Amino acid sequence: MKNQFTRFIVFFILIFCFSESLYAKNEVNVYSYRQPILINPFFEEFTKKTGIKVNVLHAKKGLLERVIAEGANTPADLILTVDIARLNQFLKNDLLIEINSNVLSQNIPAHLKDSNNKWFALSKRARILAVSKERVPLNSIKNIEELAEPKWRGKICTRPGSHDYNRSLLASIIAANGVKKAEEWASNLVLNLARKPEGNDRAQVKAIHEGVCDVAVMNTYYFGKMKFNEKNPEQQEWAKSINLVFTNQENRGNHINVAGGGVLKYSKNKDNAITLLEFLTQPKAQELYSTMNFEYPVNSSVLLSEELNSWGEFKEDKLPIEQLAELAPTAQKIIDRVGW
Amino acid sequence: MSNWNIWSVPVGIISLIIISPVLAIFYSALLGDTSLWPHLFSTVLPRYLLNTLILMIGVGSLSLFFGISTAWLVSRYEFPARSFFEWALLLPAAVPAYIIAYTYTDLLEYAGPVQGYLREFFNWQNSQDYWFPNIRSMEGAILVMSSVLYPYVYLLTRASFITLPISYFQTSAIYGRKPFFSVALPLARPAIIAGLALVLMETISDFGTVDYFAIETLTLGVFNVWLGMNSLSGAAQISSILFLIVVVLLTLELIARRNQRFYEKHSRQQTLELENVSNIKKILFFVICLAPLFLGFLIPISVLLNFVIKGYSIINFREIIDTTITSISISFVASLTIMFLSFLMVVVATYKSNTFQKSVIFLASCGYAFPGTILAVGIVVFVGWLNELFYFQISYFVGGFLVLIFAYTLRFLAIGNGSIRSGLTRINPNLIDASKTMGRSFLTTIKKIILPLTYTYILVGGILVFVDILKELPITLLLRPFNFETLATYVYQYASDEMLEESSFAALIIVLAGLGPVVFLSRTIKKYSLN
Repeated sequence: MKNQFTRFIVFFILIFCFSESLYAKNEVNVYSYRQPILINPFFEEFTKKTGIKVNVLHAKKGLLERVIAEGANTPADLILTVDIARLNQFLKNDLLIEINSNVLSQNIPAHLKDSNNKWFALSKRARILAVSKERVPLNSIKNIEELAEPKWRGKICTRPGSHDYNRSLLASIIAANGVKKAEEWASNLVLNLARKPEGNDRAQVKAIHEGVCDVAVMNTYYFGKMKFNEKNPEQQEWAKSINLVFTNQENRGNHINVAGGGVLKYSKNKDNAITLLEFLTQPKAQELYSTMNFEYPVNSSVLLSEELNSWGEFKEDKLPIEQLAELAPTAQKIIDRVGW
Repeated sequence: MSNWNIWSVPVGIISLIIISPVLAIFYSALLGDTSLWPHLFSTVLPRYLLNTLILMIGVGSLSLFFGISTAWLVSRYEFPARSFFEWALLLPAAVPAYIIAYTYTDLLEYAGPVQGYLREFFNWQNSQDYWFPNIRSMEGAILVMSSVLYPYVYLLTRASFITLPISYFQTSAIYGRKPFFSVALPLARPAIIAGLALVLMETISDFGTVDYFAIETLTLGVFNVWLGMNSLSGAAQISSILFLIVVVLLTLELIARRNQRFYEKHSRQQTLELENVSNIKKILFFVICLAPLFLGFLIPISVLLNFVIKGYSIINFREIIDTTITSISISFVASLTIMFLSFLMVVVATYKSNTFQKSVIFLASCGYAFPGTILAVGIVVFVGWLNELFYFQISYFVGGFLVLIFAYTLRFLAIGNGSIRSGLTRINPNLIDASKTMGRSFLTTIKKIILPLTYTYILVGGILVFVDILKELPITLLLRPFNFETLATYVYQYASDEMLEESSFAALIIVLAGLGPVVFLSRTIKKYSLN
């Protein structure tokens, strides 16, 4: 029994040592806030093209702290996030290097990257309104500010305010209208809610489908994901019950957020990391963002997929997205105060 | 006696190492600025605190009810399927709380089968036509969390009921007292409390369920402060409050238990025989035992199975087999490590330590009370400087593996300790003294007396830990090496995107992997009680 146990342990140790030797030298290590299922197709393409192996660690929380704690010993080369506020924290903690790459500066417009070239947006999403086809007449809501109007009392659904996406939306409203107005807006919005904020963006559209509410706040890509959901065809029905409204088209434009990335200061494979980042901004990868994930490409030379085109062209809020990150804590305080 | 001896000093040092990440969290809490507090106090904190307390009281009471009632019935009475319930009542322990939250929502929400059927039956048109309880509510959270957490109470309480000497029951019978209230319940108190403590700590630190149900507890507050206001120190401060709540709870219990004995005076133990009851009672007992099993296992498993069948074609078996092997290996190695340390720590704390050392050892098991992710961040900070050694001198993979084992130890030591501690309370100190008088070394005493007498409890703890690690999510997610998936992280990456078809098979495997040990455990307990 004892012997068997010892053998068992030795066996495991051997497996681990062996698996170590499987790691290729030519590699790049990515810490990703985004799920592997969404980014692996990009990496497979990258490895096919360059022969560089990509190792991924995905977590939704705490990667920043892990990189800080690992310091100079970090194995990570590249960080990918799905929200600007997170990305900005890496910048603030001085964890990113400046990258002077012609490819990157050609492919990414100025308002979608760091002014010192330390982080770069890789895809965009707009936070829009989903309104009931049945119950909300066209053009009856045009600006995000109107969500606070009494006529929507008991008609609005959102996910909890303290989710990254809503926080960032509120930050954009603070930037446009000031703290005081933004807080007024938020507290009136809360009064208008049809139910306690719960679930994710899709769940809000589902609630419209079910008649619980008429207007919901949603990220654009969810619409594509629901509309073409083969595995869960019920979601196609949800998508059919809504119209999309891009807000603030006659003034500042619709709020957008980005997924992005940057190369870490203590990266051991900087060249590979930059190559990967460049790859992600090239037309091929950018097309993948739009066809696979229904996100908007940042590279303006890439044509939108047919589906994205069908949602209509829209004017986006050109606020430098760094400011969203700056205002996020203020937004969270408002959210706490109004109980969104 | 100062008790700085060859046993207590090394164990004290191990405890200090284990507790270091917790100290790192405290350090960060003390260091950080407190400017957020006025804001938090005047806005969300009272609400968070109240919700946390309601959730704790609710889950605690319901778990006690489920756990104690069923443990008593299967230990005391003969009724249909009794021996099935003996082990089956443990099954909900293998269902992760975040999975049960998903499955119940799927079942009971507006578009789910239950409401759909009701609408069809009564010809209701939409949600305005009728009232249906919202599963995403405090009551819903209490129900689903209790139905997977009660096995902690059940398991420990039952182990205690089984080993109760018959002489006490005979005495109580002579005096015409009710055996349950006058004997079983008071004597099982250490085990019940140990189980309850685990339930409460699990409740306090849960993030998955409260997040999914949008219940604003302190844990949710921790994340809002950390990620929303970019204040890790503020988050650490709230976590420390959580921690203090738990420490206060545990200390109160220790004080209350201080002068009580729970061991049998005679060494030859004869335990209770099963009692025959009337048919009506048999049916009643059957129903009482079926209810928690139904809520915590049969319902979620049916929902999962339904998903598996619907999504059969998209299951990636190759991936899931690899992931299962990884998951089981790491859970096995970690639970062995944890039980070894637990046994060592509790035995040394009980027999070889002074108060100071006892407190250090006690604190080492409090990692269970932190939200997993916050604990993971504490560990990240602590092992940061070890990276050079781990990742570059040894190997990245082995290093990551060791860090995970360490993290699990910090997180789940409480389960091992609780279980072993309730075992030790049953050992008559005279036995230890006798062994000492005969000149036996402490090591021999451990081998000849303590180990055999706590064997059941070690197994109980080991299996709980094993199953818990299989389910563990936030720590594994953050601390694992590259390209490393356990069943829980595999389930999560799909489930968090509400892709339940892809994840349900892996979720089912988590449950199945916990099944084997659970059945084995139940057999061992039975064998032990017959001896």
